[in-house]
Amino acid sequence: MSIMYLLEAFQTIFSDLSSLMFILIGVVAGIMVGCLPGLTATMGCALLIPFTFSLPPVQGLLMLMGIFTGAIYGGSIAAILIRTPGTPAAAATLLDGFPLSKRGEAGKAIGIATIASFVGGTIGALIMSFMAPQIAQFGLRFGPPEFFALAVFGLSMIISISGESLLKGVIAALVGLLITTIGFDPLSGVPRFAFGNDNLLGGITFIPALIGLFGFAQVFRNIEKMGIVPQVRSKVSRILPSFKEVKTLLPTMFKSGGIGSVTGSVPGLGCDIAAFIAYGEAKRTSKKPETFGQGALEGIAAPEAANNGATGGAMIPMLTLGVPGDAVTAVLLGALTIHGFQPGPLLFRDHPEIVYPIFAGMILCQLVLLGVGLAGARLFAKLINIDIKVLTSIIFLLCIVGSYSMRFSFFDVGLALGIGVVAYFMSYAKFPVSPILLALILGPMAEQNMRRAMMLSNDDLSIFVTRPISATFLFLAVLMAGLSYMKYKKLREIERKVAETTAQDAVAK
Amino acid sequence: MKKFLVALATVFTLSGAAHAAFPEKDLTLIVPWSAGGGTDTIARALVKNAKKYIGVNVNVVNKTGGQGVVGMGAIKLARPDGYTVGLITFGLSTYKLMGLSDMTFRDFELLQLLNQSAAALSVKADSEWSSLEDLVQYAKANPGKVTLGHTGAGVAWHLSAAALGLAHGVEFNFIPFDGGAPTRSALLGGHIDLAATGIDEVKQLNDAEQIKILAVNADERHPSFPDVPTFTEAGYGLDAPILDWRGLALPKNVPADRVAVLEEGFKKMFEDPDFRQYCEEVGLMLVYEDSEGFEEFLTNMENVLAPTLEATGLLR
Repeated sequence: MSIMYLLEAFQTIFSDLSSLMFILIGVVAGIMVGCLPGLTATMGCALLIPFTFSLPPVQGLLMLMGIFTGAIYGGSIAAILIRTPGTPAAAATLLDGFPLSKRGEAGKAIGIATIASFVGGTIGALIMSFMAPQIAQFGLRFGPPEFFALAVFGLSMIISISGESLLKGVIAALVGLLITTIGFDPLSGVPRFAFGNDNLLGGITFIPALIGLFGFAQVFRNIEKMGIVPQVRSKVSRILPSFKEVKTLLPTMFKSGGIGSVTGSVPGLGCDIAAFIAYGEAKRTSKKPETFGQGALEGIAAPEAANNGATGGAMIPMLTLGVPGDAVTAVLLGALTIHGFQPGPLLFRDHPEIVYPIFAGMILCQLVLLGVGLAGARLFAKLINIDIKVLTSIIFLLCIVGSYSMRFSFFDVGLALGIGVVAYFMSYAKFPVSPILLALILGPMAEQNMRRAMMLSNDDLSIFVTRPISATFLFLAVLMAGLSYMKYKKLREIERKVAETTAQDAVAK
Repeated sequence: MKKFLVALATVFTLSGAAHAAFPEKDLTLIVPWSAGGGTDTIARALVKNAKKYIGVNVNVVNKTGGQGVVGMGAIKLARPDGYTVGLITFGLSTYKLMGLSDMTFRDFELLQLLNQSAAALSVKADSEWSSLEDLVQYAKANPGKVTLGHTGAGVAWHLSAAALGLAHGVEFNFIPFDGGAPTRSALLGGHIDLAATGIDEVKQLNDAEQIKILAVNADERHPSFPDVPTFTEAGYGLDAPILDWRGLALPKNVPADRVAVLEEGFKKMFEDPDFRQYCEEVGLMLVYEDSEGFEEFLTNMENVLAPTLEATGLLR
């Protein structure tokens, strides 16, 4: 990849301001789509494709990439403000974003999410521009055993997101894993636990589960508190994070952006898994891991940098191999084909006129995102100052529309409501819900690839430890689980001692 | 008063006559697969110029889940006023046989066949096998050694490969993947020896010489792949090829005059030059059959599929 080509592409884009306008439209539309729970980046792009038919291919693609970038970022706004991830990729962001928002610092949280998305997205775009072929080859080394090992590694993040009780976190994750076994088994073609209901044949779909676990549950909690607990007001005076805060977060953003880009580039992983891996990694290496889940700024920076890094990453296998990195790039692949370009190894040779503007456009998307995001942060943060009765009604409505619109199915609305009721009572019993979500993302990946690997090896378990990538991830998973468990024990020990001393002090007094 | 009533009656009759014109509002096309996928893209390309041919727009609605069962069930149960059209796909030939649902093509008013896709067996470009003959010889000498990745149990490509194995006594180690893209990347990454996919799904990789297509399971060579022999030409023919298909259908009991309007309108969309060009670019073979021909094709397909499904243990 020559830098000259890239500069030339920038020149082409800047020479015609309408291209920039399409990026802007895309990013703004993407943020709106991302904000609304249930409308995902995939849907946003798929719905817009017909509009791009009439545009020149480059401009159509720039707009679609703008939507992709904007939506993955926009998901964080809903996660921070209303504890409902707007897209699955923002599921890790709410862990620390919402506590900050509850303290009245929603503006700061959104500001950090914006800057992290920009940094991560730019890293992803640069890696895509300069290292696409090499990264694509690395992604291909992931076969069934590697995917299984990676899923296990991902599941070890349960420790990071369990909150107070590890045991309850593990129980929640196991419930999630059980839920993923519902529906048509893609390997054998046999329906499982569907009870003859066609709607369950496809399993519990992800979006209704997400909306139930977070959106509806939050609505119920709000109703409970209405009129009793005073509403949190956003501090509007200092809306953006200080330069110093951003500076201390930069290493986290860079690292997470890198993690995100590489994770995204492995076909089949995508933004949501990237975000969780980066969150776990940030917590593991943090000097103050105990602040995670209470509103740690790193806890927002890491997943947001990673999920936007993954957007660039996911484009890599799509462009170089014709194999989409995730669901959104699968739609973009369709868009390229409609415009007469066949993504794949020949695209770089035959159509540099489309490849380099894509690279340049991806970088520009990040800049536009930064501008729009920072300008909008103040406005977004004020949204939670809406009267809680009105706000809760709006969230309720959005949850219904969101769970319906994924498959145009009322069954899914009922499902989301049911899951919401369960999640509401779970929070009473202090069960964390995020491990359920993690299990829903990783469960099918772990199960299917475990079975595929066993088929490949004729039931020889050693396939998981004789392949280097697989062995590494499994080792890391065991290591992380072990270390974190020890740390967790120690922490509990200290807490107990403190409790004892306080109790003794009380008796002494 | 009487005059007024007569006037009123006239107005009603007139507006009644106007209502008889069909269609007077946009149509809905239910696609049982997700937005952005292969079937969805074809559907959207097909109805892109709908207004020109049928006077109204056709909106694509994706009702997904359960390997297409949910969406096709929705088509079957849609109001039979002609405003809901559905895209039906290969799964409908297997649901009842595999025990997934009782639905068959007999529950629909068939409109037309859109396309047929043939299965291709591909290997990585650096594979030691360069013909179906090489592969079969090796696989016979090493039963169960050759790993064959496919896009899902009961999908046409899986069944095609299984039929080949059954007919010629070859034992493959079948590895199901979740769709075409993961199967392709597993082949490129060397995780499987052989991939069974639709021939159009491997077009770019074949053009880029990253893979070799050994043979295609069809009666005739594919026009976009003139160098790829059929199973029969390669020496390993089957009685009848298993073909993937897509077509258009309505719920039962749509008034006959409306069915006729839709048949004509969709046929014109199908013949639209933009649509044709798109399909040619992606290597998709368009095959038209009217409702009668479509029904005959589907009846035959069930007869071909039953023995293969039984032998692969998928028959319920």
